[in-house]
Amino acid sequence: METILDVQDIHTFIGQYHILQGVSVRAPKGSITALLGRNGAGKTTTLKSILGLTPPRQGKVVFDGREINGMRSFDIASLGIGFVPEHRAIFRDLSVEENLKIAERQKGDYVRKQEFIFSLFPDLKRLIRLPGTHLSGGQQQMLAIARALVADNQLLLIDEPSEGLAPVLIEQLMEAIKQLSAETSVVLVEQNFLVASKLAEYYVIIEEGRSVKQGNMKDLADDKATIHRYLGAA
Amino acid sequence: MAKNRFFPTLKSNGGMLVTLAVFILLPFIVGLFDGASPAQVWINGSGQSKFIQGLAIEIFILALYALSYDLIFGFTGLLSFGHSMFFAVGAYGTGILLKNFGFSLPATFGVIFLAGILQALLFGMVLPRVKGITFALVTLGMASVFHVLVISSELGPYTGSDVGLQGVVPPEFISPASQRLRLYFVTLAVLILVFMLYKRFVNSPTGRVCTAIRENEGRALMLGYNTFYFKLAALALSSLTAALAGMLHTIYQPIVSPNVAGLGYTVTALLIILIGGVGTLNGALVGAVVFRLLDYGLRRYIGESASFINGAVYVAIVLFLPFGIVGTWRLKSAQVKQGWERLAKLFGSR
Amino acid sequence: MSIFLRKNFTRLIVLAVLAALFVAAAGGMESSDFVITLLRGLSVGSLTFLVASGFSLIFGLLDVLNLAHGTLFMIGAYIGWTVYVRPDTFVDLLTPLFLIFSGFMLGDVWAVIGTRGLFAGGMKRILPWAGMLVSALILVGVLRSYPVSIWNPEDYAQSPVSISYLAGLGQNLLPPPAAFESISPLLAFAGLLLGSLLLAFSLALFAAGKQGLVSRLNWCSFAGFGAFLLAGILFFVFNDALTNFLASLNTNWLFLIAVSVAVATGVGLGALMETTLIRPLYIRPIYQLMLTLGLSAIGIEMVRAIWGRPEFTMPRPAFFAGTGEGCPATSLADWWQYHCSTMILLDGRIRIYNEIFVPIIGLTVLIGVWILLQRSRLGMVIRAGVQDREMVEALGINVRRVFTLVFALGVGLAALGGVLAAPSIGLSNMMGESFLLNALIALAIGGLTSYPGAALGSLLVGLLQQFIIKYGQIGIPIPFADIIFKPTPPIVPASTILLMVVVLLILPNGLLGKKE
Repeated sequence: METILDVQDIHTFIGQYHILQGVSVRAPKGSITALLGRNGAGKTTTLKSILGLTPPRQGKVVFDGREINGMRSFDIASLGIGFVPEHRAIFRDLSVEENLKIAERQKGDYVRKQEFIFSLFPDLKRLIRLPGTHLSGGQQQMLAIARALVADNQLLLIDEPSEGLAPVLIEQLMEAIKQLSAETSVVLVEQNFLVASKLAEYYVIIEEGRSVKQGNMKDLADDKATIHRYLGAA
Repeated sequence: MAKNRFFPTLKSNGGMLVTLAVFILLPFIVGLFDGASPAQVWINGSGQSKFIQGLAIEIFILALYALSYDLIFGFTGLLSFGHSMFFAVGAYGTGILLKNFGFSLPATFGVIFLAGILQALLFGMVLPRVKGITFALVTLGMASVFHVLVISSELGPYTGSDVGLQGVVPPEFISPASQRLRLYFVTLAVLILVFMLYKRFVNSPTGRVCTAIRENEGRALMLGYNTFYFKLAALALSSLTAALAGMLHTIYQPIVSPNVAGLGYTVTALLIILIGGVGTLNGALVGAVVFRLLDYGLRRYIGESASFINGAVYVAIVLFLPFGIVGTWRLKSAQVKQGWERLAKLFGSR
Repeated sequence: MSIFLRKNFTRLIVLAVLAALFVAAAGGMESSDFVITLLRGLSVGSLTFLVASGFSLIFGLLDVLNLAHGTLFMIGAYIGWTVYVRPDTFVDLLTPLFLIFSGFMLGDVWAVIGTRGLFAGGMKRILPWAGMLVSALILVGVLRSYPVSIWNPEDYAQSPVSISYLAGLGQNLLPPPAAFESISPLLAFAGLLLGSLLLAFSLALFAAGKQGLVSRLNWCSFAGFGAFLLAGILFFVFNDALTNFLASLNTNWLFLIAVSVAVATGVGLGALMETTLIRPLYIRPIYQLMLTLGLSAIGIEMVRAIWGRPEFTMPRPAFFAGTGEGCPATSLADWWQYHCSTMILLDGRIRIYNEIFVPIIGLTVLIGVWILLQRSRLGMVIRAGVQDREMVEALGINVRRVFTLVFALGVGLAALGGVLAAPSIGLSNMMGESFLLNALIALAIGGLTSYPGAALGSLLVGLLQQFIIKYGQIGIPIPFADIIFKPTPPIVPASTILLMVVVLLILPNGLLGKKE
């Protein structure tokens, strides 16, 4: 089993606060890995540390056999990591098309990927001229994921995709993420355990800034004690 | 019992007490260097000591003014560009009341006190509507209107329009000419009192809420504090202090220039606390000393292009003392201490 | 449509009130007065806009309140004046400047050397200081004896004021070129180059460690270094030829060159400022205020030291300076034929340069930058970055470089404003500060980070000021009383500030600003 991303015992500080105190994540290639844990456990910070947005002070991040910690964020992203931030952070002042175009890393990326993106999210095609402000929550989330698909990324970091969406939309989104994971590895932060357990094959539980448990999602689903202890009632 | 409490207090405030002692003795020591006996200094003989006293009085007034700005900007996080108005109202108000209306000093103080509260309310009125940089611009607007009033020719008989307010005769017992030493001690006492009051305020529950507002107003609101009243309280205290500083300024200076109402004077306060360290009370004091002495020294020894060096010093401070003098000191003092200890060990082992 | 109305109700009412005020103000004066006031308002508005737009772009994307923006505007004016009136000084200065900045082209190389940890411990601390000191000594030493033919603000006959006056009469005689006397040219070049390399290296050492690792060595930087070096030497070899060429040019072309040089200087200064001084401060935003204030004071003092304190005016290019036959022009066609400085429009006499040319340039820049923002990839990145910098970086875009570009562009616009202002309102040490205040007010009125807002706010500020000035001359009759109110000069700035306060209290985000 090949590893696409290997995070080794990283420590991250924000200001003087020691947020991550030893997080290790191994994400196998071509699969979905979910980061689980309570609010404020440090899941989002882990994603941001991988990307160098909050650079870790200690530890190693290895992406595709290459050590990337200490590099500048945009250099890290250019290696082939796509980021879908929480709260559906699309660019509201840009049109849908511009939101996709801005993610081009090489000229023509958007044109090449257009078809694939619209096959995943048919809604976006008809909204293409609208400014980002006019999109509904679900559409914004789709756009945010689509944006990460424009460039040739080998790994997607997706932060809380189901947050605040209606169940129907969540279904649709899960379907899309499943589809795209055939080509791209995914690391996913998800509060909703049901969603995570259906999507992901592997999991890492983060508790108070430390990664405490990782393994196969199938095993976790049966392990009621662990679920109860780290994730509250599931 | 009393004894037991006295010594710890002494120990924890050692630095402050030493500074205080230095400032109390300063006029006499300078006098000694100048060849004047303490008795001569006591009866206000002219000489170097008197000059140094004057410079120190200016520093004390600046420190008061900077403290007041630090309270709203450094502690409460309200960026105001109209702070000079607080000072100018005190300065002009005192001058006009003393000169044109013949008020006594206590009565003047009372009126200035009221005016201080009123202008805090005026600034407070816009607080719920505008935040951040917009608040800064609105306060700038209000201060500019006051500035225009001060330099308008219509109010010339009172304010002296763009020449400045002149001919204020301060009461004899603290006259800067004949009783400068007394004025020196009065200003020093006011500064110490205000400083202690500020220290109490900052460490009080109210002060802590103010700091919380600076860090994250939304969270303070969520915790159930009506942040408006806390901001207003900080504004009122700040306004009163600045007006008091303005009052002392008029008593000490022979002329109140309209510049004290301009944007430049607010920037002075901002620079002082940036030099000293934002959000530290000591910083305002240190900043005032550095600012005034730098300005004085450069003007005296370099002359016209002093502000060039001044600007360069500011840039250097920003680059090399990233959090102001006091702020950086606090961050680094542990390291510095370690360094000294290592050095001591090095010599000790020999 | 109705949703739009409901959402923008207050905004529309404020705009309507402003429009009504404008109509009322227009109704109170003769049509000739009105046209002149309107055009003057447009002119002041355009200059304000050039400062405000750059300021707003920088504030929006970088979150930096660049209080030195006004000073950079002023520097643009003075640089333009120098190129226009004293091309010999300008050409003399090119060689040393290019040599001094050549070292900074190797920024990436220095960063790599700095981060590779070739120097450890105490060495690393002392080296940058020592390097800076030595380079400063070398540069000062060389520059002191470097020959530059220059004016002398201390001596009235040779001061910029007199030179400007003579140039306006067409009697500007350039003094004989300065020659190397106390230092050999080769030694001077070597010294400048050495000082430059040392300075850039030690500055880079300071910054090293504060920034992320540089992953690749960019060989382009060597090309930049070579180009600067070559340019410096070429300017030296062809010094006299270039000076003579510039001096013999007609003033229109010279003006164009002056404008481009001023803008280029602004762009260069902006880029330098952002990369060396502003960049380390993104984590401490408050201190940017102090830094830019300090820089502003330094800039003003430097201008005072080099060009002196008295105000002077830059002569207008020949295209806008005609006074002879056929002048004042009666139509634009007339002006085109005779190049008159003034024109009669609706019985009013307007100055072509101030009241027609400047607004046209302002409008051109407005449209040009708008197209850049809306149609180009850079513009897209800027608009996205204003909202969410982190996300743009997470897409793999070098936001740092975009920051530098935007800062340079903003300062370049300010410098353009300055050099355009020089022939119309003249050069003074205070012009920067007054225009910065104008721009701040304009932005607050229009919306701090809104580009159309900057344009609308600048227009309002310009118009309001000019209308108040005009009414200061003709007076406003107060209804139901026999008083004619004449606004006094201090009311002019106060009126715009008052407008700002009123607008902000009703619409805290300005007329066209978006809600946070």
